[in-house]
Amino acid sequence: MALALEGSQALARTVALCRPQVVAAYPITPQTHIVEGIAKLVADGKLACEMVSVESEHSAASVALGAAVAGSRAYTASASQGILLMAEVLYDIAGLRIPLVMTCANRALSGPLNIWNDQQDSMSMRDSGWIQLYCATNQEAVDTTVQAFRIAERCELPVMVCVDGFTLTHTLEPLELPTAEQVDGFLPTYSFRHGLDPSDPRSLGTLVGPEHFTEVRHAHHQALMQAQAEIEQADADWAAVVGRHCGGLLEVRGDPDARLGILTLGSVLGTLEDAMDADPELPRARFIKLRSYRPFPAEALRKACEGLDHLIVLERALSPGSGGIVGPEVLTALVEMAEPPRVHNYAAGLGGRDLALDLYAKLTQAVLGAERPREFAIIDADLEMLPESDR
Amino acid sequence: MIQIPPGAFARPGTSLEFKTGTWRVERPVHHRRAAPCHSACPAGEDAQAYLAKVELGDMRGAWETLVSANPLPAITGRVCHHPCESACNRAHYDESITIHGVERFLGDEALRQGWSYPVPIPSADAPRMAVVGSGPAGLAAAYHLLRGGCRVTLIEAMPAAGGTVRTAIPHYRLPPEILEQELDHLLALPGIDFRPRTRLGRDVSLEELRADHEALFLGPGRRKGREWSADFAVPGNLRTGLQLLEAWVAGGALPEQPRSVAIVGGGNTAVDLARVLRREGVEHVHLISHQRVPAPDVPADDAMRATYREVSQALEEGVTIHEHRGVRRLILRGERVVGMELVHMKKLVDANGRLRRVAFEGTETVLHVDQVIPAIGQDVDGLGFESLVRRGYMEVEPWWGSVKGESGIFSGGDARSDHGTVSEAVGDGRRAAIAMLRYRGGKTLEPGAPPEPIPYSDLNLSYFEPAPASKEPVLPPEQRLGLEEIEGGLQANAVRHEAHRCLSCGDCLACDNCWTLCPDQSVLKTREVAADGSHYVFDYDYCKGCGICAHECPTGYIRMVPE
Amino acid sequence: MNEQPLHHLDTLRARQPRFRGLESGHRACQGCGEALAARLTTEAAGPDVIVANATGCLEVFTTPWPQSAWRLPWIHSVFGNVAAVAAGMEAALKQQGRATQVLAFAGDGGTFDIGFQALSGMMERGHDVLFVCFDNEAYMNTGVQRSGSTPHAAMTTTSPPGELRMGKRHMKKDILSIIAAHHIPYAATASVAYPSDLRKKVRRAMDTEGASFLQIHSPCPLGWGHDGAKTIEVARLAVQTGLFPIIEMERGELIGTLPIREPRPVSDYLKLQNRFRHLFASDYRARKELEHLQAIANRNIERFELRGVGPESYDTEGADTVHRGGDRWA
Repeated sequence: MALALEGSQALARTVALCRPQVVAAYPITPQTHIVEGIAKLVADGKLACEMVSVESEHSAASVALGAAVAGSRAYTASASQGILLMAEVLYDIAGLRIPLVMTCANRALSGPLNIWNDQQDSMSMRDSGWIQLYCATNQEAVDTTVQAFRIAERCELPVMVCVDGFTLTHTLEPLELPTAEQVDGFLPTYSFRHGLDPSDPRSLGTLVGPEHFTEVRHAHHQALMQAQAEIEQADADWAAVVGRHCGGLLEVRGDPDARLGILTLGSVLGTLEDAMDADPELPRARFIKLRSYRPFPAEALRKACEGLDHLIVLERALSPGSGGIVGPEVLTALVEMAEPPRVHNYAAGLGGRDLALDLYAKLTQAVLGAERPREFAIIDADLEMLPESDR
Repeated sequence: MIQIPPGAFARPGTSLEFKTGTWRVERPVHHRRAAPCHSACPAGEDAQAYLAKVELGDMRGAWETLVSANPLPAITGRVCHHPCESACNRAHYDESITIHGVERFLGDEALRQGWSYPVPIPSADAPRMAVVGSGPAGLAAAYHLLRGGCRVTLIEAMPAAGGTVRTAIPHYRLPPEILEQELDHLLALPGIDFRPRTRLGRDVSLEELRADHEALFLGPGRRKGREWSADFAVPGNLRTGLQLLEAWVAGGALPEQPRSVAIVGGGNTAVDLARVLRREGVEHVHLISHQRVPAPDVPADDAMRATYREVSQALEEGVTIHEHRGVRRLILRGERVVGMELVHMKKLVDANGRLRRVAFEGTETVLHVDQVIPAIGQDVDGLGFESLVRRGYMEVEPWWGSVKGESGIFSGGDARSDHGTVSEAVGDGRRAAIAMLRYRGGKTLEPGAPPEPIPYSDLNLSYFEPAPASKEPVLPPEQRLGLEEIEGGLQANAVRHEAHRCLSCGDCLACDNCWTLCPDQSVLKTREVAADGSHYVFDYDYCKGCGICAHECPTGYIRMVPE
Repeated sequence: MNEQPLHHLDTLRARQPRFRGLESGHRACQGCGEALAARLTTEAAGPDVIVANATGCLEVFTTPWPQSAWRLPWIHSVFGNVAAVAAGMEAALKQQGRATQVLAFAGDGGTFDIGFQALSGMMERGHDVLFVCFDNEAYMNTGVQRSGSTPHAAMTTTSPPGELRMGKRHMKKDILSIIAAHHIPYAATASVAYPSDLRKKVRRAMDTEGASFLQIHSPCPLGWGHDGAKTIEVARLAVQTGLFPIIEMERGELIGTLPIREPRPVSDYLKLQNRFRHLFASDYRARKELEHLQAIANRNIERFELRGVGPESYDTEGADTVHRGGDRWA
């Protein structure tokens, strides 16, 4: 039964269905509605859970960490500065191989202050060792959240579910929530093999010297690489339960025969699909929805890019002084192909700038038009607003 | 190859693989050191050791520890001048432990309970030893020979055992029933062949004794009064102090009733007699001494050879003591004394570094008295062993008591020039017995000395609380008229209080300090007692040698030694 | 030396009549006060606990992988989050309906400075956690830098004395008053020099429902510049001078103190430590700072009435005395 729910409310109810025993969070826009929803469910006695309203995101991540090692399913959510404040704890959670799930309601980073959607925050945690799954719709956010707990607990890795702030979290969409039976059947009771228990008193977070640290890092890397199978499996298994899938590691959509490809993360995909569908005159494109950014599915990506002449990598973040963040990684992955497409890297929609339907035309023109494209561009930047020297 | 688990967790207690003991440059070792009370005890008692047992409530064990050195604690607990208490480290903290009170309590308790001495019954073919004289030295020698597995022939010239303890200690210091009980208790031990009324040189000869016994201890005491005169004058009614004292102790009366008396001498006999004379109603009792009243700040060689406690009680009872005085001449009316001329005297170091007594011209005073009693000491009556006596004394090796120039003959007690107390006599007898056993075994005797005591500065006093000493009840001077014992002894709870106050100098207190304060979990506690007498074992695999245990040991029992 | 193995050490170790929460083989310096404090704390706490440990010496010297000196479940996360990790563990155990107690261990940096916000939040939310601060008054693990807990005038590598300075310019943060302002059920100070008092407070804190706080004065021979053998003596003098008052608070109210029988001059404490060496120079600044520290001690003694009146005012309840037979009284 389809419900019309705000993304955050849908996520709150989905998280509750996953029966977290400890939820810790600190208020930050646009994440707040998720934890407010969970707090209400706890207050109403609908969810048996310790809701810990901490004094900072640093503590939110730490409480979740503590709860997970002490044997409870734990969840937190944050965005933007909150993610940065959590940063050292997020690295620690991943390095200690602690399974927990957080939602990142993607938002720009200061400064200057901007509270609207882009993906600079989760991108900044790219190397933290977390699994990062990007959601294109609120329905995907719901389904990915359920899957995330299973992935985390099976892989002993934390999972960050990235949901575009406002564009998803504050948008009312018709969507289907799973039933409690569906979730309970899919998600076993929380267990963590190397958690802390007085009956088996191990020490976690040891000091690892140069003689062992390399191997610990290697194992962490391997764990993420091997998580690809689990991500696909979880999606397939969940699809068998609810009849919906999210695309596993990535999903190929649009025109399968197109020679132009566009790779996106998150909700921008919908805009581009609508634009292409709205105007048959425009060039056709194959859309690659990159769902799993970490682990990075290089093999699946090469397969998705077969037959393309051009591939546009469109990001809602950038690495100033270099360009795109995802683009260079895609380029590296495609080098292995016999006939790799030419990769074009653009950013757009930073800090909540509206991505209108004309974005699609702009992109395809930039690549296919007469004008030689710049290597990297923030494609929706209005350079007229800037002094000459900054253009 | 070690396998790294996810997140590199570690298993509990695996640090034991890492032996931090290799860091150590110094190691702690347990080192029992003698408590000052032990070092100072002439009888060789280890008061610290028996106080420890008292504290644990093991009174019998405490008594057994006590009598492993001194078989006469009920007696010495009363008459000894307790140098243990003067030496006690606790005196620097608040007050000494009342050790004599504990000793006396244990001695009395043993008599009351009939505890038997921890002495084996000697076999029929046990070696035979002879002891001459059943004063404290002879009794101690006999007892320790028994402990060493010997049979002992103990001969005594008098009808009963005890020597000076019986004949010359007033009953107000040592009640006769205590004396009898403790002597009976000791003499009842199987293996002692006690022969009273048997005098060496009269009833048996030295050669006979030597022929029948493997070694010989002579404890004849000093019974021959010295000739005394002042400027060649001798009063007609002259009696020595010891004669008068013995007469009083035996019969409770004096032959004369003078109004004023001067006793010449500063030893225990002089002091005891002075007090007896006061009890017998003599109004003015003067004590003339070359030395001073003993006190903590008076050097030993300038102090009267009498117990501080006795001297101070004598002063309380009205005896007048003339310190640093000598008798220049007697003032006689016919043969009767009517007074004496005294002069100030002092011992000074002469050009040869020896102490010499100097009389100061122009300091003469006259003291009017009815009687002069010399109490200047006695010499050994060497009947039967005349050749062994030199200048009135037995000349012996100072620790083991072997008589100079003889083989298998030992001596001690008052017969030595340098000893004059019951406790010293007990110690002499004990060491001589050990020497006799070694002599019999053909072993040589290394020179001995009292153990070096642990100084106060080696204790850690942070772990004790001030607590006043238990004091025994003392009869006020006005009530000291008869034979009633002056000092009342300690009750059991006071005895335990004293044991609790003991600082346990140099000995493991089992206080757990080392166990509690080791940052490295390298002091392990044993269930009972470890091999070295402590309650703890160092685990040198992990001990880093930080020294906290040694620094914080309240009793100085742990020391750091270089690796 | 008698080396005979009359006791099999492994067997004896296993049979020790106390819980060995912190085992031998850890790599603390000789005479480490913090190692001792942690050993005493864990043995009083017993095995049914989970410990969160902030970054610092304690974490480093106990768990160089693959070894761990702990015999209780233990985690180190990062420097400033120990109270939050502990809060999370407590929330989890509460939700699971388990009675296992949670302890948080931090040095003074992890308590007074970088960890303070998380600590304040944990206490404000009333988590049933015992937070133990091993106070060695500087950042020892990183090479003795000053912290909010470093006493006034102490030399550290970032508060060196010189022409213009006499060591740390600022005061030691009065952390207990700040803690007390959270109105938590139990907060106390303790010292490694008074182990029975320390253990008693650990047990009391663990019996208390809600957040509790224990600040344990733990000398650092390396950082303070004293002989490792004198760790206890130094700690004891800190108490006996009045510079480190031993007190207990319930809901912000003072409920008990360890009385000082005979207050010692602060110089007795300071002269044992290199970090105060510059205070013994013969110049006005040194004399002034020495008097300043004496005044701080005097003020503590007055404020907490450490020299109380009445017959029992010096009763330490056995905290500073030993007994034959040891821990039967502890």
